[in-house]
Amino acid sequence: MNFYYHNRKPFARRSKVWFLFLGILTTVLVIYGGNKALKYTSADKYCMSCHIHPAADQSWKMSTHYNNSSGVIVSCVDCHLPPKGEGYFFVKVKTGLRDLYGFYFKDSTKFDWEKKRLLEYAKGIVYEKSCLECHRNLFPVTLSVNGGNAHLFYTTSEDPLNCINCHLNVGHYDKNAAAHGHDTTFGVTVTSTEPPFTGPAKVERFEDFTEMIPGSRVSFKMVALQGGTFNMGSPEKEPLRDPDEGPVRKVTLSKFWIAETEVTWDEYMAFFSATASQGRTEGQVVTTIKADAISGATPPWGAPDQGWGRGSRPAITLSWYAANVYCRWLSQVTGKHYRLPTEAEWEYACRGGTETPYFFEGNPKKMTSGGFLKKLIKPDTSDIASRVVYNINSAFRTEEPSFVKANPFGLKNMSGNVAEFCSDFYSADFYKADSTGINPAGPVKGPEHVIRGGSFKSDAKDVRSAARDYTKTKAWLVTDPQMPKSKWWYSDCIDVGFRVVCEIDSITKH
Amino acid sequence: MKNIDRRKFIGTAAFAGMGLAGAGAVLSSCKRKTGPTDLKLPPILRGAPKGKKLRAGLIGTGERGTGAAINFISSGPDLEIIAIADVFQDKIDAFRERFASFNLPIPVENCFTGFDGYKKLMAVPDLDVVILATPPQFRPEHFLEAVMTNKHVFMEKPVAVDPVGIRSIITSAKKAEAIGLNVVTGTQRRHQEDYIATYQQVMNGAIGTITSAKAFWNQNHVWYREREPGWNDMEYMIRNWNNFCWLCGDHILDTHVHNIDVINWFLGKHPEKAIGYGGRARRVTGDQYDFFSVDFDYGNGISSHSMCRQIDSCANGTGEMIVGTEGYTNCQNTIWDLKGNVIWKFEYPKDENGVEMESSIIPAYVQEHMHLVYAIRTGNYVNEAEQTAISTLTAIMGRTSAYNGRAITWDEIFKSDMDLGPSKVVMGPVNMVFEIPVPGTPVISNVTPLYKGQII
Repeated sequence: MNFYYHNRKPFARRSKVWFLFLGILTTVLVIYGGNKALKYTSADKYCMSCHIHPAADQSWKMSTHYNNSSGVIVSCVDCHLPPKGEGYFFVKVKTGLRDLYGFYFKDSTKFDWEKKRLLEYAKGIVYEKSCLECHRNLFPVTLSVNGGNAHLFYTTSEDPLNCINCHLNVGHYDKNAAAHGHDTTFGVTVTSTEPPFTGPAKVERFEDFTEMIPGSRVSFKMVALQGGTFNMGSPEKEPLRDPDEGPVRKVTLSKFWIAETEVTWDEYMAFFSATASQGRTEGQVVTTIKADAISGATPPWGAPDQGWGRGSRPAITLSWYAANVYCRWLSQVTGKHYRLPTEAEWEYACRGGTETPYFFEGNPKKMTSGGFLKKLIKPDTSDIASRVVYNINSAFRTEEPSFVKANPFGLKNMSGNVAEFCSDFYSADFYKADSTGINPAGPVKGPEHVIRGGSFKSDAKDVRSAARDYTKTKAWLVTDPQMPKSKWWYSDCIDVGFRVVCEIDSITKH
Repeated sequence: MKNIDRRKFIGTAAFAGMGLAGAGAVLSSCKRKTGPTDLKLPPILRGAPKGKKLRAGLIGTGERGTGAAINFISSGPDLEIIAIADVFQDKIDAFRERFASFNLPIPVENCFTGFDGYKKLMAVPDLDVVILATPPQFRPEHFLEAVMTNKHVFMEKPVAVDPVGIRSIITSAKKAEAIGLNVVTGTQRRHQEDYIATYQQVMNGAIGTITSAKAFWNQNHVWYREREPGWNDMEYMIRNWNNFCWLCGDHILDTHVHNIDVINWFLGKHPEKAIGYGGRARRVTGDQYDFFSVDFDYGNGISSHSMCRQIDSCANGTGEMIVGTEGYTNCQNTIWDLKGNVIWKFEYPKDENGVEMESSIIPAYVQEHMHLVYAIRTGNYVNEAEQTAISTLTAIMGRTSAYNGRAITWDEIFKSDMDLGPSKVVMGPVNMVFEIPVPGTPVISNVTPLYKGQII
C-alpha cells in the first residue's frame, strides 16, 4: 500500500512533465504552423495563384504601389485586408471563404472586372485604415497647394470620406482613369473638317425636326409630342413602387418637343467651347434668356467623361445649374425656347402612351435583381435588355443611343443609361398637393431637383416610368477639393445627364 | 490525482499567450486622462534654457521685426540674429545700425532686399530659426518656405489676410508638425502669466459655465504714411501697409485679433457665424474701415460682442470680458462674482519697495521667444500656427460680414476662395482699384432736390 502509494507520485510527476513538454511543443508547433500558413496565404504569390488575370496582376505592377521611385512594393493584403488588430483575421477568413467559393464554383473569365474597378465596389474591398496605416503623414512637406486643400478638407469634413474617393487607381493602374489635373484644354480641340452649320433649323409646323447648332457640326432630333391628358404616377398595386409615386393623378400637358436622346457630349461640348470661362473664376449668373453673353462652365478637373469617350454618349458629371445654362445658351443660338422638361412632361414622354410599369411588357418583380431569391433565380431580362441600359446589361458605364430600341414615341434612353434632370424641385408628396394638374411645374421651392429614369447603375425597379429620384448636391460634390466647390461639375456623380424640351412658342412667335 | 488534460493545457497556454498579448494591448491603449490640469498651457519661464547656439534670421526689419529680433536674443543664452531680409534697403540699414549699437553686427552678405529676399535668407547655411514679421499678406509664403527649408519659426500675428492664406498656414503648420519644426506665434496674451493664471481659474470653474463674452480694442487713429514723390504704387502701399486691406487685413485683424484670440481660447472653440457692422469715418489713406462691431455666434446661445475702432477722442480701451453662470472675469487678472465682489485676483510680483507691480517681470513678447527656444532645446514640441490661423480667420469672418453686410458662416469663410492682393507682387505701378467696401445693395431712387439746399 505504502509502497504503491510512494511509487505513484514520481510517476504522476513524470507524466505531468511529459504532458507539459507535449503541450509546449504542440503550442509552439501550432503557433509556428499557424504563422507559416498565415504568411503563406497572405503572400502576393498565393493571392496571384487565383487572381491571375491581368486586371489584378498586371495593373497592380503598373501602379504606383509597385512601380515607384522608392522601390517599395505594397502587397495585396496591405490594402485588401484591414490592419492587424483592426479585424484582420475576421476579414481574412471572410474573403478567403468567398474566394474559395469563387474559385471552385464560378467561371473567372465571366467576371466583370470593369465593374469591380468602380468606387462603389472598391470601397468594400479596400480598407481606409490600411491606407492610413502606411500613409501616416497626410501633410508631407512636398504636398502641393491643391493637395493641401484636399487633405485639409478630408481631415475637417464631417461627411464620411474614403482615401479612394480621390485616389481610386493608385493600387491598380488604369490607363483610362480620369486624370487628376485641371484640364484647361478640355473641349478646345476641334476635329471636324466639314463646314459648320450657318443657322439653326427653321420650324414652321408642329412636327419632328432636326435642330442644328450654328457654328458647329452638331445636330439632334426633336420629337413633337401632342400632349393631352394622361395618368401620372404608379397605382398602388404596381410591384416595387415607392410611396412618392402616388397617388396617380390626371395631368394635362400642352404640346411640346422633346429631344430623341439625352444631350450628348458633342452637343454639350459645342456649348462648352463657345462659352467656357477660363480659369477658376466662376462665370456671372445670367438671369434673362436674351442676355447677350452667357458665361459657361469652368474647365473641369480630371476627365468628366470618365475615359469612356464622348461623341454621342450622354454628357455626364455636369451640374443641374450647368444644364440650365446650356438650355439658355441653346435658346440663344437657335432662337427657340429650350429648357429642361418638367417632371410631368418627362413621365408623359417616357410612358409613350402606356400605363404599365415600363413602356414595354413586363413585371418589375421578375426583372429586379434585389431580394435574396434573385441569387437563385436569375432576373428576367428578355424584354428589358434591348430597351434599357441598367445594372444587368451595362458595363457600369453609359452607352450610345444605338444600344437600345426606342419607346412608342420614338424616344431613346428615357429609362436607364443616365438619370435625367427635370426642372421641378423634388417633394415626396407633391402628387397629393398638386390641385390643378395642368402643366404642373412642381413645388415652388425645395432643396433638390427631380431626376428621372434611373441609370446604368440602377436596378430594374428604378427604371420604371413612374420611379422618382432627386439630386444629391452635397454627396455629389463630396470630394471636390475646391473652395467653394464647383457649380458646374459634380465630382462624385457619373450617372446623371439631361435632355432638352423645346416650347411651342418657338414657332408661334415666328 | 490531478489529471492533466492535454487539450485543456494547450488551451490554457494559448489563453495565457492571448492574455499577455491582450494585457499589452490594454496597457498600450491606456491613455492619460485629460483633466483640468491638462490645459496645454505654455511654460512660464524666467529665461530660455541653455543649449546649442541658435542662429536666427529676421524677415521684415520694420519696427515689430526689430522688436521681435531683440526679444529673441534677450530671451536666453546663445541666441543670435545672423541674417536679415526686407523689401527696402533703408529698413535693412536701420536695423544693422541698431544692432551695431548693441555690438552685434550683421554681416553685409547676410542682408537681403527685394520681394524674394526671404528665399535668399532661408538659403543661408546653418540657420535654425526664422522670425517672420512682415505685413501679414506675405506670411503664408514665408511660412511655407521656412517649413520647406526646415526652420523653426516665430511668426507675428495675424498670420494671413484671407482664407486662401489661412489654409496655406494650416497646411504648412501640419507639414511642420510632421517633421518636428516648432512654431510660436506672437499672440502675447497666451504667453502672459496673468492671463494663464486667470484661464486656469476659469477652467477650474471659477465663473461657472460661460454664457457670453465681449472683446474690444478701441484706440486713437494709427500711423499712416503720405505718398512721397518717387514712390511707385507698390512701394507706397507697402510703406503704408497698415492702411491697405490686402496687406494688413484691416485693423480687426491687425490689433483686435489679440482679443478675439483670447475669447476663442477661453471658450475653447471658434464661432460658427458672424454678423458685423463697420464703416470708415475718419481714416485718411488706404481702403480700410476705422470701426467694426461684430456679433460672433459661438452656438448654444453664446455670443461674443467684438468691437474695434481707431478714431481719436472716443471712449477708448482694450480688453476682454467673459461672463459665466457664477461670475465674470476680465480674462487678465480678476474674477468677480455676479454681485460684483472680487473673488480672485492675480498676484503680481512686488518691486523692491514691496509694492505690487502692474505686470509680470518678463513681458509676454519675450516669454513667447523663451517658449520657442525652450521647445527647441528641450524637445517639448510646440506649434501654435493653426490656433492663431483659426483666430485670424475668425477676424476675417467678422471683417467680411461687416464689409458686405451678410451673415458669414465658418464653413463659408473656411472654404472661401477669397485671395486679396495683386496676382503678382512686383515694384512698379499696380493696376488695382481700391474701393472702400459698402455693405448691402443701393436703394434705387429718383429722389432729387428741386432746388439747391432743399430738404429731402
